[in-house]
Amino acid sequence: MIVDRRLLPHLDLRLIAAVLGLTFIGLATIYSVTWDFRTHRPGGEFWTQVYALPIGLVAATVCLLVDYRSLTQKSLLIYVALVLALVYVSFFGVVRGGARRWIPPLLGFSLQPSEFARITVALVLAMFYGERQRSAATMGALIAGGLILSVPFLLIAKQPDLGTAATLLPVFLGVAYVAGMRVRWLVIAAIAVALLSPVIWQYGMKDYQKQRIETFVNPTKDPRGAGYQQIQAKVTVGSGGLAGKGFMQGTQGGYGFLPVAHNDFVFSVLAEEHGFVGVLVTLALYLFVIMRSLDAAKLARDRVGAFLVVAIISGFAFQVLYNITMSAGLAPVKGLTLPLMSYGGSSLVATLAGFGLILNVRMRRFTN
Amino acid sequence: MVTPGATEDRRGLQIRLVMIRVVTSIGFLALAISFWVLQVFEHDKYKEMADNNHLRTIPLRAPRGVLFDRDGRVLVENRYSFTIAIIRERSANVNAAVKRLAAAVGADEALLQEVMARHKRDPLFAPIPIIEHASFPQVAAVRARGLELPEVVVQQVPTRAYPPGGFAAHLFGYVSEIQEAQLDRPEFAGAASGAIVGQAGLEKVYNTKLMGTDGDQLVVVNSVGREIDKIGEEPPVEGQRMQLTIDADLQHALEEAFHAGNMAGSAVFMNPKTGEILAMTSQPAYDPNDFATGIDRGTWAKLNNDPLLPLQDRLIQGKYQPGSTFKVVVTTAALSEGLITPDFKVTCPGYATFYGHTFQCDKHEAHGTLDLRHAIAESCNVYFYTVGNLLKIDQIHEYAEKLGLTGKTGIDLPNESESLVPSTEWKMRTTGEKWYPGETISVAIGQGQVTVTPISLATMITTVANGGTVVVPHVVRAVDDGTGWKMLEPPQPRSVFQFRPDVLQVLRDGLWNAVNGTGTAGRARIEGRDVAGKTGTAQVISKEGRAAAAASGKGLDLRDNSWFEFFAPVGDAEISGVVFVEHGGYGAASAVPIAKYMLMTYFAKKDGQPMPTLESAGITVPKPPVSTVTVAPGRSGGPR
Repeated sequence: MIVDRRLLPHLDLRLIAAVLGLTFIGLATIYSVTWDFRTHRPGGEFWTQVYALPIGLVAATVCLLVDYRSLTQKSLLIYVALVLALVYVSFFGVVRGGARRWIPPLLGFSLQPSEFARITVALVLAMFYGERQRSAATMGALIAGGLILSVPFLLIAKQPDLGTAATLLPVFLGVAYVAGMRVRWLVIAAIAVALLSPVIWQYGMKDYQKQRIETFVNPTKDPRGAGYQQIQAKVTVGSGGLAGKGFMQGTQGGYGFLPVAHNDFVFSVLAEEHGFVGVLVTLALYLFVIMRSLDAAKLARDRVGAFLVVAIISGFAFQVLYNITMSAGLAPVKGLTLPLMSYGGSSLVATLAGFGLILNVRMRRFTN
Repeated sequence: MVTPGATEDRRGLQIRLVMIRVVTSIGFLALAISFWVLQVFEHDKYKEMADNNHLRTIPLRAPRGVLFDRDGRVLVENRYSFTIAIIRERSANVNAAVKRLAAAVGADEALLQEVMARHKRDPLFAPIPIIEHASFPQVAAVRARGLELPEVVVQQVPTRAYPPGGFAAHLFGYVSEIQEAQLDRPEFAGAASGAIVGQAGLEKVYNTKLMGTDGDQLVVVNSVGREIDKIGEEPPVEGQRMQLTIDADLQHALEEAFHAGNMAGSAVFMNPKTGEILAMTSQPAYDPNDFATGIDRGTWAKLNNDPLLPLQDRLIQGKYQPGSTFKVVVTTAALSEGLITPDFKVTCPGYATFYGHTFQCDKHEAHGTLDLRHAIAESCNVYFYTVGNLLKIDQIHEYAEKLGLTGKTGIDLPNESESLVPSTEWKMRTTGEKWYPGETISVAIGQGQVTVTPISLATMITTVANGGTVVVPHVVRAVDDGTGWKMLEPPQPRSVFQFRPDVLQVLRDGLWNAVNGTGTAGRARIEGRDVAGKTGTAQVISKEGRAAAAASGKGLDLRDNSWFEFFAPVGDAEISGVVFVEHGGYGAASAVPIAKYMLMTYFAKKDGQPMPTLESAGITVPKPPVSTVTVAPGRSGGPR
């Protein structure tokens, strides 16, 4: 694939550096927390993550080199492929931890298509709203966008993976917002959800979901069960102190007191080992990545590009904020990974591909 | 191609992008503040919680102080016993684990489950000692099945090791886990729940010194309780070592003599100059090792229900009528008060009548006419009835007190009983009645209301032996608190009685005569050792009572109690003591040969002569002795 050499100076190297920086921080944390004290080796999760990195970089490069407009034009095709993959998974997927999420291993990797739903939905929604004037200002346009969202949402929620499905919502809301959705409607929707919450609680939630929320409100109610993770997350973060316990010196993650420390709670381990200082550095990097991406949206040569960036970065920002809040024990525990840092090959590849698209939009801001 | 509408639209987009930045920034700011609160403001709290998660303090039990005899031979030491414990945290299914363990070691699963139930409230990471004092095959079985029993650990626990056969059991006492009610008691200060403390004997009295200080180990564990690292250790401090005044050879000889006749009773041998106890026993005894390894209910019930009361230390807790041994007190009182002279003569017809009551002499055929020296030697009751009739009960009490026979001797062993020599004040206080002079007649021969402990009788005769010093008997000679042996100051004498020299001389003459002349204690005579002593035979029941008991057919042992008090050599005594044989019949028959054997052993050892045999002291040996002293070869300690 040939790319116009004149585009290269517009590549956002700072964003690339920050994204790679976060990826390496994630790798180091996974290395530390999966370290086996008997074999003196990092766990297999670390190597999976290491192997996923070049794949992600290739995916990002592909997403960078192809003009994003040709991708949005073909987005319906991609969307159909995604839905087919999700349907395939719901019938033939590999079950792990009670959820059917993975396409059976191919070349040593099993793929989690739901991780690619965000990019796909972002592409479709960017195309859908970007090609129209005053796009999301009408109720009809809003509902149409919601329908586009709902198919993958329901398929993923059914796996069940409500956490990943939920990350599609900010993608939609982000695009709809910048595409002119009236804030009034958002407020009305929020009030409606608040008013309906008792009904949702009663009829719309499964017992384990209710339990998670109950546990969040009062974690000591079940300190060895569902409240355990939340309590231990706080202990992990709090015990890190200002400067942290040091790399590989964490006791909460390293000795297994904090479950899924390499995955959903990777940030807790970072906070434990590198303290408040490490937390600030990492938060600053994430914030930088988000702000720099929003620059790309601002500079985008067209609405499609801006909406694409907003869609991707909204999902990213939501997931970062929620996961880090949860990792401090301040939000209900939900199977939601921290983009770039948490263990998960598909997640890393999909996230890097997303940044490929964001770089794409910025790089092509002057082309016609 | 930019339309005005598009420009307006573009401005709206830019504003909304800024809004997204603002909202995101607020989110990040809130997160930073939250982390600051958790990591800086509340750090101490979470640091402690994290430490509690991964740091475990494992107590290391301190071995108790080793006890040595006066020659530095080890008497009581510590061995390591094995405890098989279960750590529930490591087990997916505790019930199944207990079942597997029971099968592996051949134990009753129900019993093990019972133990587990008792420890239900212990923390999950705490090892529950499910089989204490496990046998080697059990330990081997557990170790061989390490993979099948990941939740089972074998711990080494220092355990008290006493000589076998109940050797000096009442002296040592025993140890066991501290009881809930004892935790607040001053003598157990510093002992935590679960601590092993002395419950009787020396172990109890010197518990604080002997107990040592437990140490602990700080280890890092992971979430399933596996030890990953050891980061600190406070080693346990062994309890203070003690050298006793006991001579293991004499102690062994004493028990051998009691065992040979299968006798119940007690005896003590001491240095009359210092009150150091060289040997002491109470028979029958118990095996302190049974307690050290956690006594089982069956053994405990058997010890408690045994009519011979093996748990009682007869030497200091048993109270008996002293019989004729008490005549030493009566003699001292009458002479000191000037009521009689040594030449005071009484004619014994075999009985006497006082206050309308006929009192029998021990010897039913008459003693004839005797002076004081012969009356002591031949133990004539009629003579002492007559002397007692001259005395007031309060005078007898006064001299008993001066000689150290009343109250407690102050020996450094627990739960000593008070010896009682009656007085008018005592009778008024306890019964509200006045003392009748007729009662004094029985007291004069050590019957009636006078009841004494063998140790107080030994103290009394020791006062005669050393010429008036009421020593405090004691069993500890030196202590090593870790900085080297320090001799203990012998306890201050309770009092000093100013014997009139002539009174002392008459007493010693009479007591020498009893052994070396024509007296009742002739069997204690040892050529060249000038043994002095007095036998006693105390009725345990009146003649009428005896007839009734015989008719009851319960087979009660109603034979008289047999006493012998003694010291040697008479002029400058270096050993004194008392032998008491329960239901031993005449003192001369059972108590005296034991004392003789002990004295022969004492002098033989002192002179480096071969040790005597039981037969040479007049003790018949029906079977091989059951008790042996085990002395660890090559180990010794204590000042010489």
